[in-house]
Amino acid sequence: MDKLELLRSKRERIEEGGGAKRIAAQHEAGKLTARERLQLLFDEASFVELDAFVKHRGTYFGMEKTDAPSDGVVTGYGKVNGRLVYAYAQDFTVIGGSLGEMHANKIVKVMELAGKMGAPFVGMNDSGGARIQEGVDALSGFGKIFYANTRMSGVIPQISVIMGPCAGGAVYSPALTDFIFMVDKTGNMYITGPQVIKTVTGEEVSMETLGGAMTHNAVSGVAQFVSPNDTACIADVRRLLDFLPSNNMENPPAFEAADDMNRLADLNDIIPQESNKAYDMKEIIKRLADDGDMMEVAPHFAMNIITCFIRLNGKPVGVIANQPRVMAGCLDINCSDKAARFIRTCDCFNIPILNLVDVPGFLPGTAQEHGGIIRHGAKMLFAYCEATVPKVTLITRKAYGGAYLAMCSKDLGADLVFAWPSAEIAVMGPEGAANIVFKNEIKNSEDPIATRKEMIDNYTNEFATPYKAAERGFVDDVIEPAHSRLRLIDAFDMLATKRDKLPAKKHGNIPL
Amino acid sequence: MIKKYNVTVNGNSYQVEVEEIKEAGVVSVAQPAQKAVQAPIPAMAKPAPATVPVAVASIPAGASTTNSPMPGTITSVRVVAGTSVKRGDVLFILEAMKMENEIYAADDGTVAAVHVTQGTAVNTGDVLASFN
Repeated sequence: MDKLELLRSKRERIEEGGGAKRIAAQHEAGKLTARERLQLLFDEASFVELDAFVKHRGTYFGMEKTDAPSDGVVTGYGKVNGRLVYAYAQDFTVIGGSLGEMHANKIVKVMELAGKMGAPFVGMNDSGGARIQEGVDALSGFGKIFYANTRMSGVIPQISVIMGPCAGGAVYSPALTDFIFMVDKTGNMYITGPQVIKTVTGEEVSMETLGGAMTHNAVSGVAQFVSPNDTACIADVRRLLDFLPSNNMENPPAFEAADDMNRLADLNDIIPQESNKAYDMKEIIKRLADDGDMMEVAPHFAMNIITCFIRLNGKPVGVIANQPRVMAGCLDINCSDKAARFIRTCDCFNIPILNLVDVPGFLPGTAQEHGGIIRHGAKMLFAYCEATVPKVTLITRKAYGGAYLAMCSKDLGADLVFAWPSAEIAVMGPEGAANIVFKNEIKNSEDPIATRKEMIDNYTNEFATPYKAAERGFVDDVIEPAHSRLRLIDAFDMLATKRDKLPAKKHGNIPL
Repeated sequence: MIKKYNVTVNGNSYQVEVEEIKEAGVVSVAQPAQKAVQAPIPAMAKPAPATVPVAVASIPAGASTTNSPMPGTITSVRVVAGTSVKRGDVLFILEAMKMENEIYAADDGTVAAVHVTQGTAVNTGDVLASFN
């Protein structure tokens, strides 16, 4: 055979992956193949494969006779909306996409390239787990990937996509990355599967309930995105990449904005007259954002806080917002975790932070206290104080007590704090405060009920406003809601050259 | 806290220690102090009827449920058994954190049973309504 022909036939064999029958089975299961996924991720004809000829070195249990094209993982680089991105996609049609020594080496190789070039890294997982026949070599492979994930954390954006099984040790590579996407019904993540659980604890649980996409998006908070199928999922990954810089030395990509920066936002009537009525904070975010466009991160988990990316005048901004519509928008363990993680993600990648505050306080109760709300809430405070990106806070309504501080008050390092006239910034709500401050007046009154009401009204008018905080400079300006969009765009524009450095240290000791 | 009482029943004097146990209610331990013989059990006042939670109905097996997201008080019940609801419809108003929290239907369906009434104090996770 001619040498050129030999090359062509070898490559053809490799690109067939596990063969027509297994590819059909993959499609039958509602999944795309590794190569199809990579084609969708990258701009047309931009994907370049590396290490296609790599073979495993397994010799036990008949592995010496097993041919595994690409060793079960396709790796390489390409362009996403014109920007360099590295990726791997595990090939479930080749010995179940199992991870052995060479499979792992291929992944680590592209990760190291991504690190050197300062480009994002996307990992598509669809694997039966460690290749048992390779023993500790397979384990070592996982270890090397974890190490590379951690070393690259905060340097380049790392995105994990779960498009099939991802079990046992395999889950920890995604867990170490910045974002996890899961495809509904086909993506699964768990440390120990239903079979093992049944043997050990007797508990019977389906794969979907144990570690399906919605479980991890809504219950455990492990994953941040869920998509109905592979195609939609990859489109979401591409969309997210548009909000992120290529590495920690760059600013996130700015686009020409079609939306007028001076547009008045329809916000003057959005806050209900009664301060105990809820409203949808997402509406506010949409009316502020360019083209009403927001990409939510973890929309199904701890919904009492919203974390999302928007653009203001074409530039990405990370938004952390209380949601009065869910659990009154109070702070609890899960939402503190969610917010802290998002703040740090934004800070890693130079994405300015906007905080929209309407928070009645921390959720009381033994479940919260015993669950460690002190420890978890502290993560949020730590993340805000530590973040050096531009931080702007807009208080729409309630900002009480410790929760006021926790939502990036002036003292936690907000560069600019705005408040709407509806803002209530005080140490506690009028009813509680009146009972304490005017205790004697109420007790000694001839009509305690009337006196109490009078005192509550006095407190509300005097203290449940933005003006006491503005008198002290804790609020930089009280603004008309309709002007918020242009004021925020102006604020971030002014803060674009912000320089702020933490004292020299190895790293802070965030309470985990 | 343990409190000691002298109680005289039918002319017999007893020293009684009463220990208050938080949450679980009050349990009294009667110890005959002076008499070695087992004292006849004194006639007691009828126990007050135990307060039962206002569970209106039991949860049908396999039904999906709407649970309370946080501790608070139900101030309004907008549905009854048999009401068909659409995803996003308001089912209850839960007053918590001095806010009126609307509890929505997570999916389309028909209410199988409502498990709370106006004024019910609920905790995180308590079932408010179940659906067919």
